[in-house]
Amino acid sequence: MSQLLNIEDFTLGFPDRPPLLDSVSLHVNDGEAVALVGESGSGKSLTTRAALGLFPGGSEFSGTVSVQGLDTLTANKQRLMELRRGHASMIFQDPRAGINPVRTVGDFLTETLLRFDGLSRAEATERAVKQLEQVGLRRAKELMDQHPHQLSGGMLQRVMIAAALLNSPDLLLCDEPTTALDVTTQSGIVRLLREEQQSRGMGMLFITHDLNLAASMCERVYVLRRGTVVEHGPTQTVFQMPQQDYTRQLVEATPIIELGEVPAVEASAAPPLLQVSGLSKTYQLPRGDVITALDNAGFSLPEGGSLGVVGESGSGKSTLARLVVALETATVGELTLHGVPRPRRPLKAAERKVLAKDVQIVFQDPYLSLDPRIPVGNAVADVFRLHQRQGRKQAKASAAELLGRVGIGPDRFDARPRALSGGQRQRVALAKALAARPRLLVLDEATSALDVSVQAQVLELVEELRDQFGLTILFVTHDLAVVSRLCSELIVMHQGRIVEQGPTARILEDPGDGYTRNLIASRPRPLWDAEPVTA
Amino acid sequence: MTLAIQLPQAGLRRYGSLLSPMAWGALAVAAAVVLLSLFAPVLAPYDPDYVDLNNVLAGPGPQHLLGTDALGRDLLSRLMHGGRTSLLGPTIVVIGSTVLGLLLGLVAGWSEGWLGKVLGRLFDLLFAFPALLMAMLAIALFGKGLFAPILAMTIAYVPYVARLAQSLVVAERSRPYVQAYRVLGFRTPWVVLGRVLPNLIPTVGAQSTLNFGYVLADLAALSFIGLGVQPPTSDWGAMIEESRGALLGGYILPAFWPALVVVLVVVAVNVIGEELSDRIGGKLS
Amino acid sequence: MTATDHVQAPAPAQGGAARKRAKDRAVRPTVYILKKLVSLVVTLFVASLAVFFSRFLVPGDPARFLLRGRSPKPEALEEITRQFGLDKPAWEQYLNWLGGILQGDWGRSLTYRQDVSDVLLGRLPTTLQLVALAAVFITVLGLFAGIVASLNKGFGDRFILITLTAAGAVPPFVAAIALVALFSVGLGWFPSFGSGDGGWDRIWHLTLPALALGITYIAMVARVTRSSMNEQLLREHVEVATSRGLTRGSVVARHVLRNALGPILTVSGVLVAGLLVSSAIIERTFGLSGIGQLLVQSIDRLDFAVVQAIVMVVVAAFVLVNTVVDLIQPLIDPRIAAGTESR
Repeated sequence: MSQLLNIEDFTLGFPDRPPLLDSVSLHVNDGEAVALVGESGSGKSLTTRAALGLFPGGSEFSGTVSVQGLDTLTANKQRLMELRRGHASMIFQDPRAGINPVRTVGDFLTETLLRFDGLSRAEATERAVKQLEQVGLRRAKELMDQHPHQLSGGMLQRVMIAAALLNSPDLLLCDEPTTALDVTTQSGIVRLLREEQQSRGMGMLFITHDLNLAASMCERVYVLRRGTVVEHGPTQTVFQMPQQDYTRQLVEATPIIELGEVPAVEASAAPPLLQVSGLSKTYQLPRGDVITALDNAGFSLPEGGSLGVVGESGSGKSTLARLVVALETATVGELTLHGVPRPRRPLKAAERKVLAKDVQIVFQDPYLSLDPRIPVGNAVADVFRLHQRQGRKQAKASAAELLGRVGIGPDRFDARPRALSGGQRQRVALAKALAARPRLLVLDEATSALDVSVQAQVLELVEELRDQFGLTILFVTHDLAVVSRLCSELIVMHQGRIVEQGPTARILEDPGDGYTRNLIASRPRPLWDAEPVTA
Repeated sequence: MTLAIQLPQAGLRRYGSLLSPMAWGALAVAAAVVLLSLFAPVLAPYDPDYVDLNNVLAGPGPQHLLGTDALGRDLLSRLMHGGRTSLLGPTIVVIGSTVLGLLLGLVAGWSEGWLGKVLGRLFDLLFAFPALLMAMLAIALFGKGLFAPILAMTIAYVPYVARLAQSLVVAERSRPYVQAYRVLGFRTPWVVLGRVLPNLIPTVGAQSTLNFGYVLADLAALSFIGLGVQPPTSDWGAMIEESRGALLGGYILPAFWPALVVVLVVVAVNVIGEELSDRIGGKLS
Repeated sequence: MTATDHVQAPAPAQGGAARKRAKDRAVRPTVYILKKLVSLVVTLFVASLAVFFSRFLVPGDPARFLLRGRSPKPEALEEITRQFGLDKPAWEQYLNWLGGILQGDWGRSLTYRQDVSDVLLGRLPTTLQLVALAAVFITVLGLFAGIVASLNKGFGDRFILITLTAAGAVPPFVAAIALVALFSVGLGWFPSFGSGDGGWDRIWHLTLPALALGITYIAMVARVTRSSMNEQLLREHVEVATSRGLTRGSVVARHVLRNALGPILTVSGVLVAGLLVSSAIIERTFGLSGIGQLLVQSIDRLDFAVVQAIVMVVVAAFVLVNTVVDLIQPLIDPRIAAGTESR
């Protein structure tokens, strides 16, 4: 076995700044699948792009990055282009961004064949169609004439893979190839990639932030942190017996399905805090189409309970969350919160103010959910002034106290949101929501945009706050593992409908619905283990 | 996973840090021109209308720093006095169109129903009337002078501000932070005027700064073709027009100075405007 | 995975929608074209209302307004009242005016004692030639400067950008004066007056005016080309194309420039109106007898019927050109007609 990709002491950075990559060394042998895991900003993408001779403009680098003996740091343009065309291909994270939206799929696939391999249009088309069929796309001939916006994300990623495989590369570089996709779509892509890699005997470097995914794809793994390799070895060894603290933290923070973690609320005679029945939301599109975002949803959530809503994109779970906080108005159905039936019209200002003390929401994106101009302390104080009728001074004191409880120290009181990290922003968003003293807290994918280690901390905080404030939780997410940790009850949604609901442990152990089973089975499982990772 | 979040958030990004040297230079030029024009009655060495037929088309010298025109009037004094007229018009137009445009843009952006659509259509329609054309039509209706074109251009520049404000508001409205304000029970006027509006001001301000340059050039052009300010009042455009005869006779300076000042001011304003909009909408951190 | 499924702009559900999509593909372009054409007609209609009723903003007797600067003899007042139908209700006046325009009767010019349409038609060729020549300069020089600036980061980009900022700040009339001073009075290479005898002589005469007219717009087109290309250069699909081993030239032509065309075209469409209006000033400076010169003269001589007609022509030209631009856009970016994306 020869070394297909060999990176030695590779350092990359911009002048007068600390290096982004610091003496990274890694290698991939022929026919071997190697994972490169790390959180955002660890330098995974930079490392991988270097294998194709792609560097950020203005950067300086040293060391060796060689692919089949060709050093991409020093090779001339011609050799690099030959390498990219014939020997090494890359699959990018977001196929919708990665395929030129104004050209057809056929154009995308055949452009290198026509321009550099001297194939005729008919030959190139035939080869592209064959390749599309091989990656599991039906009606491949029709697809060739379609534009990317007419295809789903999963189909597009298969197109991207087909393009990468067209010239039978020896090395396949994958940069988070399934991160933009739903779990069930991801499992299909992962299976395809693994099959192709095995049957062609390609070497593969697989970048991901998801340890479970790395374990399901690769025999060896490198763990990257802030531009340095902290640990490497066989995947099973590294994940089960991590030697370094950082790796250990990463493994512990990675959410896994935990059964029976959260005790259910004892049944009581009191009416539930949130009662939903027959709730539907449809949208009329300008073209006359009607989209049913939520179809006949019904459930109840007792005071102090915790309910997880799980589904993929387009499942209607976010619509449900937005209906609960009255950002949307239901088309039909009943929603009763804290004894108040919700009118089927946009709320008046006074009604909104009353509702605010019953329910609050924390959104997904920590970079957008805070007003960029307002210091975080003032943002929280504003809520105290509005809802607790506190004066300026008192509100500031209350805000400081609450921010302290979510782990934001007084030194950050006057900071603008942009000076905070993603995790800190979500903490502030939580404080802002809690300042209204709501009974029900809706978390709409509130931890999905965070790195796993940060996500683990924020989840811990939510658990603490739930106990301190006696909150009822409605947690909307795509991630079964997160729900299993936080929620005693579970709703599974698919295409606008609730397909299954009940105690979390029961559903996860013995799913009754086909879609739920599919969802659970789609979670990546390590190569050494046929079963999903469970603690 | 971190894909979506690191994209630039137009309109809200880091602003407020220091300007580039070029922008400082532009600011200095603009300030100098404004001050010289503002205090022209005190600072100008001569009466701008004083005719000295013994001293026509003189070159720059200790007597007349920039020379004299075909009637022997001091060019520097005329430039300073003319600046008062030349700068006043754009100032009124920019303030008027910014206030009106922001107001209409906020309403159009915030109302999801027919009102927003109708206003959007109205802006589209107004775009079909270029400012200079609108000004000429107004002059045809109300007569020559500054009143008609200033009024017309104020209206003509409204859609430039309003459309921008509208699109910004639409973008802001769907941002989680605005939705969070709604869920928190803050009243809509407080959110719109107190929170959303300040976030628009830098971007709209950049656009209005650019508009200032265009209006200045257009008003000068109107004076140049004799439709704008009427004698004895003068502005830079009219000065260039007055100097055309001298120019064809080979005397460049009387036309050169006002032309230079117009270009300098427009460049300065554009540099400042672009610096602002780059700072707001531009680069990744 | 980072599901952002607010259903505000919902993606069509996959699977069962395939058949429907096939049908939609055939219908949508037609719907798109029809919509644009309807909007064209409506815009023209509303614009004509605005242009016609602008006269009613002037207080006082309309007949005296139309006869400003001329002796208001009773017979003249009577004639103008009859000619404009001033004794009829406003809506009837409008309908007559609109009907006349549609049939080619644009009213009579007081100055020329001629039909407005004849006056206009006689002047139109000069203006069109001037604008066409300016458009050539704008397209060639603007695109070239923008592309070069975008592809040469560092000194080249800075240099072109500063040049463009300076050029963009030169109002057409200042450019005209400067060009005349330099090339006519100074060097004597080009004439400073008149439109020549046709053929090369015409182009020789129109070169300076067209350059003066175009200089601001060259800068605008160059800027939008540069920024639109820069935006595309950062896109992931460009990196993907590079990673597949395409040459720099192919990547730029097929992926960067091609995708950047949309905004360039949009801006070019908007420029047309400004170009037509600015030609008024240029024509006057260079003594070209086009409709721009006519517009200025008619304002000067208080000949409102001609002013009204020219304003309508310019507005109509703007609306038409932009409708054409809208109709071309889907050929550049297929997502526009599908209504899924506005770019």
